Amino acid sequence: MSLLVQGLARLLLAPILMVAFAVLVKGYADVGDGFAAGAIASLAILLQYIAFGREQTERTLAIRLLPAAAFVGLLSALAITAAPLASGDPLLTHTPGAGTEPIHLGTLELIGAFAFDIAVFLLVLGATLGIIHAIAREAERVEGIEPR
Amino acid sequence: MIDAPRGRATAHSLPAAVAILAAATGFAATLWCWSQGGGVLDLPWAASLDIRLRFELDGLGALYTLLATGVALPVFVYAARYLPAHLAQQRRPASHAPRFYGLLVLFMVSMAGLAMAQDMVALFVFWDLTAVASYFLIAYDRHEDSARWAALMALLVTGVSAVLLLIGALVLYAEYGTFSVPELFERAQPGGTLTLAGGLIAVAAVAKSAQVPLHFWLPRAMAAPTPVSAYLHSAAMVAAGVLLLGRLYPLIEPSALLRDGLLVVGGASIAVGGVIALTRDEMKQLLAYSTFSQYGYVVFLYGLGGAKAAVAAAFYVISHALAKSALFLTAGAVTQATGSKKLSEVGGLARDLPLLAAASAAAVAAIVALPLTVGFFADELFFAAALERGPWAAALAVAAAGLTFAYLGRFWIAIFLGPPTPSGRVPAAMLVPVAALGACLVATGLWPEPVASLAAAAGEASVRAPTSAAVAYHLDARSENLMALATWSIGLTLLALPALWRAPAGAVARLGTRVGPERLYAAGLRRVNRLSDRVHDLEVRDLRARVAAVLVPAGALVALGVLATPTAGSYRVGEIAARDAALVLMLALACVAAVAATLQNHHLTLTLVLATLGFALAGVYAFFGAPDVALVAVVVETLLALLLFGVLALIPAQVLRREAEIRTRGSRRWRDPLIGVVSGLFAFVLAWGALSRPSPERSVAAEHIELAPDAHAKDVVTAILADFRGLDTLGEVTVVAVALIGVVALLRRGRLW
Repeated sequence: MSLLVQGLARLLLAPILMVAFAVLVKGYADVGDGFAAGAIASLAILLQYIAFGREQTERTLAIRLLPAAAFVGLLSALAITAAPLASGDPLLTHTPGAGTEPIHLGTLELIGAFAFDIAVFLLVLGATLGIIHAIAREAERVEGIEPR
Repeated sequence: MIDAPRGRATAHSLPAAVAILAAATGFAATLWCWSQGGGVLDLPWAASLDIRLRFELDGLGALYTLLATGVALPVFVYAARYLPAHLAQQRRPASHAPRFYGLLVLFMVSMAGLAMAQDMVALFVFWDLTAVASYFLIAYDRHEDSARWAALMALLVTGVSAVLLLIGALVLYAEYGTFSVPELFERAQPGGTLTLAGGLIAVAAVAKSAQVPLHFWLPRAMAAPTPVSAYLHSAAMVAAGVLLLGRLYPLIEPSALLRDGLLVVGGASIAVGGVIALTRDEMKQLLAYSTFSQYGYVVFLYGLGGAKAAVAAAFYVISHALAKSALFLTAGAVTQATGSKKLSEVGGLARDLPLLAAASAAAVAAIVALPLTVGFFADELFFAAALERGPWAAALAVAAAGLTFAYLGRFWIAIFLGPPTPSGRVPAAMLVPVAALGACLVATGLWPEPVASLAAAAGEASVRAPTSAAVAYHLDARSENLMALATWSIGLTLLALPALWRAPAGAVARLGTRVGPERLYAAGLRRVNRLSDRVHDLEVRDLRARVAAVLVPAGALVALGVLATPTAGSYRVGEIAARDAALVLMLALACVAAVAATLQNHHLTLTLVLATLGFALAGVYAFFGAPDVALVAVVVETLLALLLFGVLALIPAQVLRREAEIRTRGSRRWRDPLIGVVSGLFAFVLAWGALSRPSPERSVAAEHIELAPDAHAKDVVTAILADFRGLDTLGEVTVVAVALIGVVALLRRGRLW
């Protein structure tokens, strides 16, 4: 892969991840949500795969175990969905209730749906990376070559 | 004869111990609770649907729970000894053992739940749970075709008829507005609706209790390991049918039609089961036919109606459960000792196995109503109830009992008398349960009050009125005693003169296999299979066929809808303002890309064209004022295009080249485009019609926008996705996780990591 692409990929990694993070936390105030954020973040990493190949990317970014985030996300989404049952409310009841002020973290409002969005983010990111990893590995096996 | 190797001990002993402990605890707890006067457990389940988890330990509940746990105890003890030998004989690993005990415990628990449930939906759930447990237990030897066939048959016959129970419950709910059993009893009025619902329920019960003509699954179910047969026939599954009759008796009894139906079904089952049992040579087969014949007695009793019959039915179930489990375990022990399953191949075992002979003699005596066993009283009550109905019922009862005497007498004599066959050792753990059951039968024969009071309480639960069961030995010439004498003499005559019945009984059995309902079942199953195969072939022959299988019915339905709707004024062409130029341009690009996609054969170009289509649509969203959707569309489109390139790289270039050169030929060349164009056209018309309609004043979207501030959201789309319709999102992201598993498993040939 050309030096230009590699340089660009390295340069763009942090900004794209930052954008993904912004899309995630600003989801309730602006365009975007956990799903989009997860897809953007995995695009950032996919760019590294393309530029540096599977082995180097997974080594330098230490993301070998990130696909497991899909199941962490799925399980937490299920847990968040079911949590209101414990207090006798229907599934996915909004917390805190309408009218009450949520806890603020700067301008970020901590509400139950935000936790759900984070779970979706983890799930999408993990699932996409898992698929990318599987395809990249298989490509190496098929062509019997070193990482491109 | 076969001992399990020592090393397997732990895989067997721990789950077995847990199962035995569970049975013992369940029995003791039920006994204690019952001695304290029963109790009610009422938990909310689905309050919005009026469904509650209501359990009540009344007489009927106590009876069947005590049976389910009490019979489970000796059966599980026996299984702990039987299963290691069984698995060793089939060269299966000891790791198959825990599942067996787990399923047995599930069977026991679902039976107990069924016995105590007081809500129609809960009844239905436990009813099906017993079917599920029995399915896996019958098919426990899953490498054997016959076991799988038998399990499927049991599941289909009892499972399909279980739907009738649910329909009956829904009919009752529609009429009386409650699923609660006690409330139903209060509100139910005799009439057409009640007869219909009661009839549906009775059919389900009769199928579960393997009554004619739905009896054929039971003899097949003998493919199960012996402890399963023993349990299934005595205290679970088959008993569940008559339990349901007893539980919902107030819904069935008011209809004379249903009572007469039960009489006919019960009588026919007694006769068919008894006659075929006479001809069987295989021990477990004989006992299987005997089982549905015996349950025929109980169904017959419920058909007679009245408090006396209900008490007699409950009493009969107790004595039959104890005796029949003992007889099955006897058959298993005999097979263990001699390696043979047929009556004609064994004989004279009384010398080597005196304990087994004595215990099973008690069991046989109990079913054929000899004094000093509890069965005597069971038949006494049976005769008394029949007498109350009339002389014809009494005559039928005597004939039935005589028949039973003959085939069970034949069973015991063939095994234990006559010239001895060589036999091996039977482990004590397989003899003790039989002995315990036999002792129990004799003890209750000498002191029947506990059984009688339990049966009276169960009868009380069935008829909702005080009942009593006064049983005692009377040494006088009362009619019940005379009927018992008549029974014995008929039975002895039949036993002594086999020439009398051999030819006709054999003819009945042959007729049954030739034209019986089992053939109907097999033919029906074959038909359904063939239909399913044909639909499957049609749909999944290739990708085009599968797409067509979606497009053609969808297109046809839409076409029907469009053509049936009046069209005047429903298709409008709006105005295109100058500021919409970008939007129109994007739509035009999407159209061009869509058409181009159909003309491309080269895979890489096709991927790019499809990506162009996706980006064009993302542009449409953006100009249409849906930035959230546009963002996701752009990002996902990029990801998908890149991943598609990656996947294409996995396919050898020459394969791609060859595939690209394939041209569709013959009729498909015109058919497939035609299907696509026509269904696309109707989709277009549908969308046009929908967009031409003025949007309603108050849409769901408006409501969402109004509610967003309450959900602390400034972005409505995110609030909808993560909050208002979070359950949808949960389903969708679950699909993403499933897709991950699918892709990885496909690429890594079944492995996930």
